[in-house]
Amino acid sequence: MEYLYTILMLMALSVILAASFNFVIGYGGLISIAHPVFYAIGAYVSALLARDAGVPVALAIPLGAVAALLASLLVAVPALRISGDYLLIASIGFQLGVLEAIKNMTWTGGAGGLTDIPALFGRSTGHAVYVALAIVLAAGSVLLLRGITRSAYGRAMSALRDDELAFAALGRNAMMIKLGVFALGAGLAGLAGGLYAHYFRFLAPDQFDILQSAALLTIVVVGGMRTVWGPVVGAVVLQALPQAITFLDLPPSVLGPLQGILFTGLVLVFMFVRPAGLIAAGDLWRGAAVPDATAGGDGAGRA
Amino acid sequence: MNIGGGDIVQANSSAGPTRRAVLAGIAAAGAMPALPALAADAAPLRFGLAMPLTGGQATYGQDQVRAAQWGLDAINAAGGVNGRKLEAITLDTQADPQIGIQAANRLVSIEKVPVFVTAWSEVVKAVAPVANDAKAVELSVGANSAQIAKLGDYVYTTFPLADVDITAVAQYEADKLGKKRAAVLYINNETGIVAAEIYRKVFTAAGGTVVAYEAYDPKATDWTGQILKVRLASPDVIHIQGLVADTPQVIAQLRQLGMTQTISSYSSIYNPRLIRQLGAAAEGVIATSLAPGPADSAAVAAYVERWKKEVGREPNGLPYTQYLYDAPYIIAAVLRSLAAKSQPVTGESFRAEMLAIGTFDLPLTGKLVINADHTVRKPVYLMQVKGGAWTQLAVVG
Repeated sequence: MEYLYTILMLMALSVILAASFNFVIGYGGLISIAHPVFYAIGAYVSALLARDAGVPVALAIPLGAVAALLASLLVAVPALRISGDYLLIASIGFQLGVLEAIKNMTWTGGAGGLTDIPALFGRSTGHAVYVALAIVLAAGSVLLLRGITRSAYGRAMSALRDDELAFAALGRNAMMIKLGVFALGAGLAGLAGGLYAHYFRFLAPDQFDILQSAALLTIVVVGGMRTVWGPVVGAVVLQALPQAITFLDLPPSVLGPLQGILFTGLVLVFMFVRPAGLIAAGDLWRGAAVPDATAGGDGAGRA
Repeated sequence: MNIGGGDIVQANSSAGPTRRAVLAGIAAAGAMPALPALAADAAPLRFGLAMPLTGGQATYGQDQVRAAQWGLDAINAAGGVNGRKLEAITLDTQADPQIGIQAANRLVSIEKVPVFVTAWSEVVKAVAPVANDAKAVELSVGANSAQIAKLGDYVYTTFPLADVDITAVAQYEADKLGKKRAAVLYINNETGIVAAEIYRKVFTAAGGTVVAYEAYDPKATDWTGQILKVRLASPDVIHIQGLVADTPQVIAQLRQLGMTQTISSYSSIYNPRLIRQLGAAAEGVIATSLAPGPADSAAVAAYVERWKKEVGREPNGLPYTQYLYDAPYIIAAVLRSLAAKSQPVTGESFRAEMLAIGTFDLPLTGKLVINADHTVRKPVYLMQVKGGAWTQLAVVG
């Protein structure tokens, strides 16, 4: 069962990460691929608070999420004021900088990783409950983001993404919406990080590097960007697929290259066969349709 | 997040019936991560082997798995464990902590092995909670992080941790070679930081002075800045604490910049490849080996010959493969002892019996003492390049 719990846990965490990343890059149109660094901040802050400061794990996990949220504002406030492209550069710089800092400080465990992280629940009954909690939180995150994208705020996000100038011309504050989207996405990634830390109880900075950004982007692209269920399907499929191929008993000479090309290959295949991903967004104005006079919406949020 | 997973690549064809037998035994006994009592049937006894078979470390991981398989074949050819075959379930870790966790989880929860062998410090640390929770013994074979001794009740090493060989080389240079001024160049990761600190402490305590202490980035391709600082400090010995990939390049650059002092490092560079890479620049370089070499042991000489004959080359990281060859012997000895006492094989009984035996005589690495404090005692072989070949300088401890 432990093996199954591990896979379910990774799927639940991937769902939270992919859904929140999709919220930032897909719905918000904020080009940042440094999502794993907020995952790392949530994980490290939660682990260190619980391990070294004696904070109860149940409190440390949300504090980790808050830390990730605040850290995202540190990047976004200066970067978003200038232009979207700067966010990409600033966020990558922030990701590399934070990971280098973690590697070079002794109290974070350094490059060798952080051990002795306390578990949320006891050993005997803990994992089933923990996995159930993670699944509930993953479902809650998806529903929360679905609710936001279907609301008036969601329509404002879409309008901002598609034409910032026109949006600003309507007298709306673009900066506040961008900050809100970025911070919420980062906060959810931080929550996933805290959940990860107290389940697996080991953290190493290399787990959150730029390769993980690429893997996360693949999940969102393959699943379907700018849809509610696309990242969910992408996360489940792309966590299950590598596990499934390991049961094929392939020799390492086949398996090594196969694992190497799995993600790249999938992206290439989807580019040609199904560019919109497994679940396609209905149209460019997904979630951004102008409400009609009677219903206040026309099904724009069907995702 | 992390994507990937462990994979069975050498699951024995009889794994099906074995698994059913194991599950039946567990159902009958109501035990969790346990194999049925040895006397119950003649089904093979199994242990896990979680090593990098793909990815950047596969060159070493695959050779180590081959060595373990040879050890296993020799045990089975000699009658196995009281007539029962010993089998390894080999999973890939890619030397990645997350994939290692999945592999270890699969070993203890699906394959239900009481003991598994793994390596690479980050993987060893990452899977420690899995071993401790499942009460399955994790044997670290080859990783040398000093932290490994503190990872919990079920994590043991059969390989000496970093303090053993670094202490030996620092002490020897200060005491026997009469060196007074050491420069330390180290890679800025856990391997380098911890070991460099050990060298500094031991060398200083032995009456020497560390005149330069320079870190370099793990991704560096040029070390001129650090080397010039070392040069200014005029050391009489330079100790490099790097990895197998960068240390030869650092040595080459030291020599190119006119540094003729004695250079030492540790077990990662004890490899014929170093001499091929550096040529004359390798002369005088001191390394450590934590296992006897072909010149010290006929069994090791025969083992190296077997590599040349069957694979066409020497193994990558010879001493590490020797430890992997010997790991199944430790497991077989513990299982035999449990069988003699008619005790069931569980992670708990395996751990208790392994500590009770304590001392193991192994074919390729000699005597091994597994201490209750999760460390091991082994002699350190100091090796030096002389006349284009590794020769033994001294044996310490």
